[in-house]
Amino acid sequence: MTIAAVLLALMVSAWLLAVIEAWLSTGRLRPVAPLLAGLSHLGRESLLPRKPDRLFFETAPVLLLVVAVLGAAVLPLAPGLVIADLATGALFVNAALAYVLVALIMAGWGPNGAYAMVGGWRFLGQLIAYAMLIVMPITAVAMRAESLLNTAIVASQASLWNIVYQPLGFVLFFIAAMALAFRAPFDLPTAPGELAGGVDAEYTGMRLAVLRLARLVLVITLATATTVFYLGGWHGPLLPPWAWSLIKTLTVAVSMLLAGHYLPRIREADLLSWCWKLGIPLALLNILIVGLMILVVP
Amino acid sequence: MTIAGARKGRPSIVQRLVGRAQARNLSCLIVPGPEVALAHGLDLAAAGMRIAATPRDAAVLVVIGALSRKLDEATAVLYAQMPRPRAVLVLGGPTPSSLPPADVSTDLSQAELIEATGRLQQALAEGAFTASPEDFDASVLQARIEYVCPMHPEVVEDEPGRCPKCGMDLVAREAGAESGATEGMSEHDHNHHHEHHQGHDHNHHDHDHDDGHQQGHAHEHARTEYVCPMHPQVVQDEPGSCPKCGMDLVARVVGADEGAAEMPLKHGDHHDHEHHEHERHQGHDHEHHHEHGQHKHDHGGHDHSGHDHGASGFMSMVEVTKDLPRSADGLAMDWIKVPFGPVFPGLPGGLRLTLTLDGDGVAEGQATSLVGMSAVTEEGAAETFVERLATAMALAPVSYRLLACRAIEQAAGLKEDPATARARACALERERIASHLGWLAQLGRQLSFVWLMRRATTLQLKTRCANREQLVAMRPALWALNVRLELTPLLKARLKGIGALPGGSHDFRGPVARAAGSAEDVRQADTIYRELGFEIRTGTTGGDAWGRLQQRLMEIMASLDLIEAGVDPGMPTLRDIGSTSGISEASVETPRGRAALRLTLEHGQVVSVELDTACSHHIGLVANLVEGRELGDALVAVGSLDLSPWEVIS
Repeated sequence: MTIAAVLLALMVSAWLLAVIEAWLSTGRLRPVAPLLAGLSHLGRESLLPRKPDRLFFETAPVLLLVVAVLGAAVLPLAPGLVIADLATGALFVNAALAYVLVALIMAGWGPNGAYAMVGGWRFLGQLIAYAMLIVMPITAVAMRAESLLNTAIVASQASLWNIVYQPLGFVLFFIAAMALAFRAPFDLPTAPGELAGGVDAEYTGMRLAVLRLARLVLVITLATATTVFYLGGWHGPLLPPWAWSLIKTLTVAVSMLLAGHYLPRIREADLLSWCWKLGIPLALLNILIVGLMILVVP
Repeated sequence: MTIAGARKGRPSIVQRLVGRAQARNLSCLIVPGPEVALAHGLDLAAAGMRIAATPRDAAVLVVIGALSRKLDEATAVLYAQMPRPRAVLVLGGPTPSSLPPADVSTDLSQAELIEATGRLQQALAEGAFTASPEDFDASVLQARIEYVCPMHPEVVEDEPGRCPKCGMDLVAREAGAESGATEGMSEHDHNHHHEHHQGHDHNHHDHDHDDGHQQGHAHEHARTEYVCPMHPQVVQDEPGSCPKCGMDLVARVVGADEGAAEMPLKHGDHHDHEHHEHERHQGHDHEHHHEHGQHKHDHGGHDHSGHDHGASGFMSMVEVTKDLPRSADGLAMDWIKVPFGPVFPGLPGGLRLTLTLDGDGVAEGQATSLVGMSAVTEEGAAETFVERLATAMALAPVSYRLLACRAIEQAAGLKEDPATARARACALERERIASHLGWLAQLGRQLSFVWLMRRATTLQLKTRCANREQLVAMRPALWALNVRLELTPLLKARLKGIGALPGGSHDFRGPVARAAGSAEDVRQADTIYRELGFEIRTGTTGGDAWGRLQQRLMEIMASLDLIEAGVDPGMPTLRDIGSTSGISEASVETPRGRAALRLTLEHGQVVSVELDTACSHHIGLVANLVEGRELGDALVAVGSLDLSPWEVIS
């Protein structure tokens, strides 16, 4: 029951996000558009490129979808509405998301095409830079909650959301989440204007439908994680807890989309050096500040 | 009624539903490119189509205008890459000869486009599936087999044989399939239709390849030396450890002329034997080839272990990468040659950029135009020449119409009257604004900067046919765009220092030259422009991509000033020249820089022309700008030149 509810919530959010995305890019609000797009992908040929690595090519879209759903499985949407409230939940989110990289490398290598391969390697090159900025802010969040239980993390924000308590951590996590979801301006592995689609350049039909869905769900998962870690999860007045989760998640997801809308794609070299030279020291500073506050403020 | 690119399937209820869904979710690939559609005033997004980045993602191939032969061929490859069901929409031109007949064709106007989209949706909804789909097999898709040396990539022959440098057997491969990479959008990356017989071919190639790697057999005749795997400069005759890093030295076999690659020559007998065996196998049927593929594997394994007496115990990187070119960081990597274009979302359509990629760095690059006007122009009546030149220059028709009119009128001895000249100057300035906005939209597409792409596109479409009053009313919007771009985070970091050119060279013109600080502008000498208050403005921020962006933004505002001081833009039309004769030379400052036309007129007929354009010079700068750059930066650098492939004279 819980599993079905969480999956339904994921799909509904993904659908809403797709509607909003189409609205932003075409200026027209068409609620059926994502369903039509999905249906038309299913009706098209799903071509195999020449001399592909079949295993990698077929696995990548499915793996990406599985990873995104796994990440969402440990995030509570309301009290009791979580598939698995693991004792190491916060860490599990990070562990699951590490496989985004694996999926992208596979999608890059599989089709045996230059554009896709460059896209996959680009993401690999950024790996640790992103991953550190996901895990280090989570450390500070877990320090305040004194637990890695995601429900405990939400509970710890009942009086004051983490976005206020540790704004620096929020900014870092938000940016890293956007980079991990490879949305513009961090769309280095797909980069339509540079790699003509990069890792998704060779996918068509059914496989493309799975890949597109996986990317939407990944954004939703990362937005849910941001909500749970920084925006107080289900806490909020009047509305039921699940509604607050949904509203917050969609707000985060849409702001990720909007950022991409108004910014040019970042330079690969710049991103790498800013992550390492600026992001990681700031994340350490964030841990230090949070640590001091925990010691000083009772 | 089914479409030519229908997918196999019996028309059932489910498929009708899918067809309808597809009709309402059209994604299109535009040939030559979206900027050409915009230059013709076509807004495909407003007609309900989404512009796809790749042919894989497109359901409709939109062809705009007549295509050159080379672009026609490239279009066939793009079409073959689109998954079925796929449709062809042709606007304002004949159906390209390499494509199946267009499903819908119409003229170049927005109203016609919207009407045609409706018909296309109808056709897709009803005819996306058919029981017997037509095969698409254009002649350009037929693979050509060429033979290369496994050790010397520069040796490429049409016939099987031996490498003239090392004597190894040449390996068969499909032309264009360098390094085994599929070549993206514009190369012979055929789809499923060919898969079957190609699979067979490749088995065969693999066999050849192993024949080529018979290195181990040569050791008896050659000298062995010992090298450090990490320090290629450490070479000695005795085994031992490297004085620099202490690693065990690795044995390497050298022939009389140096180099492991020479060895197979010395073992002629064995090699010949192998060769004959191979010849024999060529006559076998399909199944035998598969068996042989298996055999090959065993044989390969045998080579690397058993026959390797005393030589290296593993594939030494030093040996393997010995002849490979080195990157800037000293690493030898596989270099792959990747074509970008002629239909690529980040580059102007019709331009083919061939980059040799070393990882995601560019080792070398070269740009060619597939649509450039040829220098040889047939003679003809003056009016037809004007039309032909204006049509040929898809991205700057007004400028070239003006250039042709000016040259012919001068040759006929007519003087421009001031009123016409003002109207023409204003039309030219209007086109400059539209063209620069088109470039901004292209920059937006390249950088996934959606807001810029949409804003610039909207403004460009508004500018195209606006009169003076409407243009002046657009000033706040254009100014806001200016300010907005100055303030956009990441944009300066993205463009600064990319594609820098030194000032003061003769090779460049227009905004590219002015951004680098050289005062190069034909308009300075024009009295009409002086009356309108023209003064040349050059960049101060340097000749890089950021400088060019600022220069173009500045010129948009400057052109607006000129129009405000001038009159309603008037399209240049050729005045009556009778049957005069003469020779003349005229030039116009087109949006991309000075274009000059030398022309001979005989009895009202144009008999010889010589055209010189800015883009013909700028395209030569590409090799320099991309070399040693990261892929993303290289593409930004090429984009910042605002090349119009139509204006490249071949």
